[in-house]
Amino acid sequence: MTSIRKNKVFMGLLYILVFLLLSEWLRPVIELTETGHHRLFLAFVAIGLIMAFFDIPWWVTAPVKVIYILWFIVYVYTGNLFFTAESLAFVMEQASISLSALFSQDWQATTDAFRTVLFFALLWMAIYLIHYWVSFRLSIFLFYLLTVVFIAVLDTFSPYSGDAAIVRIMVIGLLLAGLLHLARWMEHHAATAKTDKLLVFSIPLLMLLVASTAFAFYLPKAEPIWPDPVPYITSYSGQGGVGQGGVGRIGYGVDDSQLGGSFVSDDTTVFRAEVEEGQYWKVEVKDVYTTKGWELSDEDAQEQFYRNGDEVVTDFPPQGEDRTSALVDMQLPFPFVLYPYGTASFLMEETLDYRYDPVQQRFDTLQENTAFEPDVYEVFYSEPSFSLTALRETDVEQLDGLPTEYDRYLQLPDELPDRVGELAQEIAAGSDTVYAQAQAIERYFGTNGFEYSQSDIAIPEGDEDYVDQFLFETQRGYCDNFSTSMVVMLRSLDIPARWVKGFNEGEVIDTVDGYDVYEVTNNNAHSWVEAYMPGVGWMMFEPTIGFTGSSSIDFDLEIDASDPEEEMPDRPEPEPETQPEQTDSNAATNAEPTTGERFLAFVAEQAGKLIAATIALLLLALLLFSIRKKWMPKVLIPYYRRKQADAETFEKAYLRLLKQLELYGIKRAPGQTLRSYAEYVDSFFGTKEMTELTAAYEKSIYGGDPHSVDWPKLKESWENLINRTSG
Amino acid sequence: MKATERLGKVIDNIEKVIIGKREIAELSLVALLSHGHVLLEDVPGVGKTMLVRALAKSVGADFKRIQFTPDLLPSDVVGVSIYSPKDMQFHFRPGPIMGNIVLADEINRTSPKTQSALLEAMEEASVTTDGVTMQIPKPFFVMATQNPIEYEGTYPLPEAQLDRFLLRVKMGYPTREEEIEVLTRSQSIPPIEELESVLTLEELLELQDAVRTIRVDDTIRAYIVELATHTRRDPYVYLGVSPRGSIALMKAAQAYAMLKGRNYVTPDDIQYLAKPVFGHRIMLRSEARYDGITAEELTERIIAKTRVPVQRLVNQ
Repeated sequence: MTSIRKNKVFMGLLYILVFLLLSEWLRPVIELTETGHHRLFLAFVAIGLIMAFFDIPWWVTAPVKVIYILWFIVYVYTGNLFFTAESLAFVMEQASISLSALFSQDWQATTDAFRTVLFFALLWMAIYLIHYWVSFRLSIFLFYLLTVVFIAVLDTFSPYSGDAAIVRIMVIGLLLAGLLHLARWMEHHAATAKTDKLLVFSIPLLMLLVASTAFAFYLPKAEPIWPDPVPYITSYSGQGGVGQGGVGRIGYGVDDSQLGGSFVSDDTTVFRAEVEEGQYWKVEVKDVYTTKGWELSDEDAQEQFYRNGDEVVTDFPPQGEDRTSALVDMQLPFPFVLYPYGTASFLMEETLDYRYDPVQQRFDTLQENTAFEPDVYEVFYSEPSFSLTALRETDVEQLDGLPTEYDRYLQLPDELPDRVGELAQEIAAGSDTVYAQAQAIERYFGTNGFEYSQSDIAIPEGDEDYVDQFLFETQRGYCDNFSTSMVVMLRSLDIPARWVKGFNEGEVIDTVDGYDVYEVTNNNAHSWVEAYMPGVGWMMFEPTIGFTGSSSIDFDLEIDASDPEEEMPDRPEPEPETQPEQTDSNAATNAEPTTGERFLAFVAEQAGKLIAATIALLLLALLLFSIRKKWMPKVLIPYYRRKQADAETFEKAYLRLLKQLELYGIKRAPGQTLRSYAEYVDSFFGTKEMTELTAAYEKSIYGGDPHSVDWPKLKESWENLINRTSG
Repeated sequence: MKATERLGKVIDNIEKVIIGKREIAELSLVALLSHGHVLLEDVPGVGKTMLVRALAKSVGADFKRIQFTPDLLPSDVVGVSIYSPKDMQFHFRPGPIMGNIVLADEINRTSPKTQSALLEAMEEASVTTDGVTMQIPKPFFVMATQNPIEYEGTYPLPEAQLDRFLLRVKMGYPTREEEIEVLTRSQSIPPIEELESVLTLEELLELQDAVRTIRVDDTIRAYIVELATHTRRDPYVYLGVSPRGSIALMKAAQAYAMLKGRNYVTPDDIQYLAKPVFGHRIMLRSEARYDGITAEELTERIIAKTRVPVQRLVNQ
């Protein structure tokens, strides 16, 4: 019998895999610390492993390694290929400097060469440990796990990209772990370790590995549900960035130049508002679309300064003379005020200026020309309403005669793919007023398979366009996707439009004196659309599915000339998450899907049902398993009745009976013989059958006389006993 | 007549004399059948001698008794050559060892030299004096007794020599009822005198041969080795059971299976015999003595934790 450890081919393969795994460690370390000489370090690892593989005694390997390290120092630090007197002097000098530094505990003074030596020592140790794991323990799992964790941590927290490395590690590691398991198995079963036999055993392992890797490779991969921890940590202040690339934290942010990516929810309260009715709170608008996100144009506009109680002028003048007041209690420091549509004036205890920039449309709060973060303020407003009659007269021709100040709201990047505009034309076709066109676009998302989601959201890369990607590829996103797309499509139809940021109404948490107290958290950060209706003015639109905060007007209502106005905005639904799932996410895909894609799409669509069914099946299986002692006999008796009446059947039936008895609760101690167990069983049931069966079984097994078994005769005893176990 | 019935008769016969010691009688017969020897360890007066005599009578064997004393010489055991003036030659006068069933009483009282002479004879079944080797007649069975109470002036048997005994058996006191019965019987003529042989020596030799044919399954062999290995690994044990001990267990189990009318050994046989076979073969550390653990108890523990083979070995 040859031990598996003696099989040089097999062990050689293991060592090659170990080398590959170790090099995965070395690569990021050298890359990140900018050490260089990657190959020379690898060579050291290779030499160490080769010597370990051939079981070269330590008194040979240690000098070889030491000489290699010295040579490395000489070569790298002095440039000499060979040991010259000069280079040896260098080594001595380095050693004396470092040693004296060590003795004086002046760690900083140790030289680079000395640190290199330490690094080599570390590698040496690693090689020894792995050699031990592979050759003696035949187990690599711990090291494998550490490697995965190491690369994952580096990938997350450092610039090192482990995308490919992690795949390599998985493949190498699984192969290694599988082969080692095989080795342990063979050793345990004292199986002969011939190479051809090993090959036969390895084939299923390889097939499994190839299949799982291929499967994993071709399956669609979800965006990380885990936030990228680095921006997550930096955004902890609560003012995280809507619109920063990668996975962000929801909330109001300033930088919108790179939209996309997933969000994690954040319950940090931004402010509380006592209002009569919930409404959207506007912060600012942006007007320049960059194919990736939004920026502000450098248009010069006259900034307006207001004081407490001054009537402010916005694009949404208050309706009538009556004013509603809202009390806003800020929880996070913002150097501006949030305002509802139709704002007339602000009031605050402090004396300060409200600076309104008509381009950005944000009310910055300033105290003596420095940014001031208000605490509590009152805002007086009256929601504007729009005449439906007037809206019905917003002729498309009127767009041509707009003044040039509206041009910046028609800006579109040159790189914008044509199909965006074509889609807008298609949607707007048949609508003859500007308002009807805007409404058609606003409603488009709700009926064409778009899905609201904050997770698993693509980020446009390279020359991809944010809107184009959302409209034609992903069809999955949150407010930024919907609002930006609507603005871009409106602009492509020459309708002036801009992108608005702010918060939706939040949640009612209390009622004070007939006023609802709304709590608005970072989760309520929102973006929507304002579009210019010729002859009417600016209007807000809400394209995001699940939100109904826009000035949507019900066309079914027959509106008289005497009742020409429609209120806006409607009370929006509180939670976007509660909206019904969009199931036909494939509906708008242009390319004809392949069978595989269809299957995957089917799986994706039915994921909920599939998971539920799997869970139900598992539960059922668990239930059946837990009560198996009840129904097993009913299955076993007919099963063994049908089987051939020979000794083999009897032995199987007897062992099955032992299992059933154990399930029944009559346990057999490991050191208990069958006979004494049988006597106990019989005394328990008041029978003689177990002893009878056991005697026959013993004769068959220990007596080596299976032909003596008369199974047809014993069957009755067996059935009798097995029936008792179901009680 | 079947082997088991004939052996049963022997046991019954012994039971006529020795009351309530059927197990001991069985074990003695097991040793006799498997060419082994028995070390009886107990206080005086519990019927050790009577047992051996009854056994010898039942099988019609020649019974010899050697009382070991400190001044006994090896030649007193194996015999001596005496010069005969008549034909001017040395003639070998066999010692008491040249019998079928030998009772070596209080074996630990004699000097190691004499002890080893006996033990050598037991192992080889022959004696060598003056360059002449003489076979001891078959069957040859030694039952040595050892009094565990007295230590003064005794020479305890070395461990290596204890290994020569197949079984170590402790008689123990009879129960109350049994002892009353013993008293009742001893009022009449000693029953031993009336005992008749129920088995001839030839039949016994046949049975001895037949024991070898009792089947020992691979699983049982593995089980024996497992048990022996465990005794070697136990932290309480200074010296575990030797391979000779494993062989002894297997042979004894074969004889016992035959006694029980089976032609194969079961794990029950092994478990039953493990204590008398292993008991004197395990040397315990002092820690065991402090914890009050005897070799028999340790064997029991090992039996309890060693998995009994219940399935056929699957060939790889």
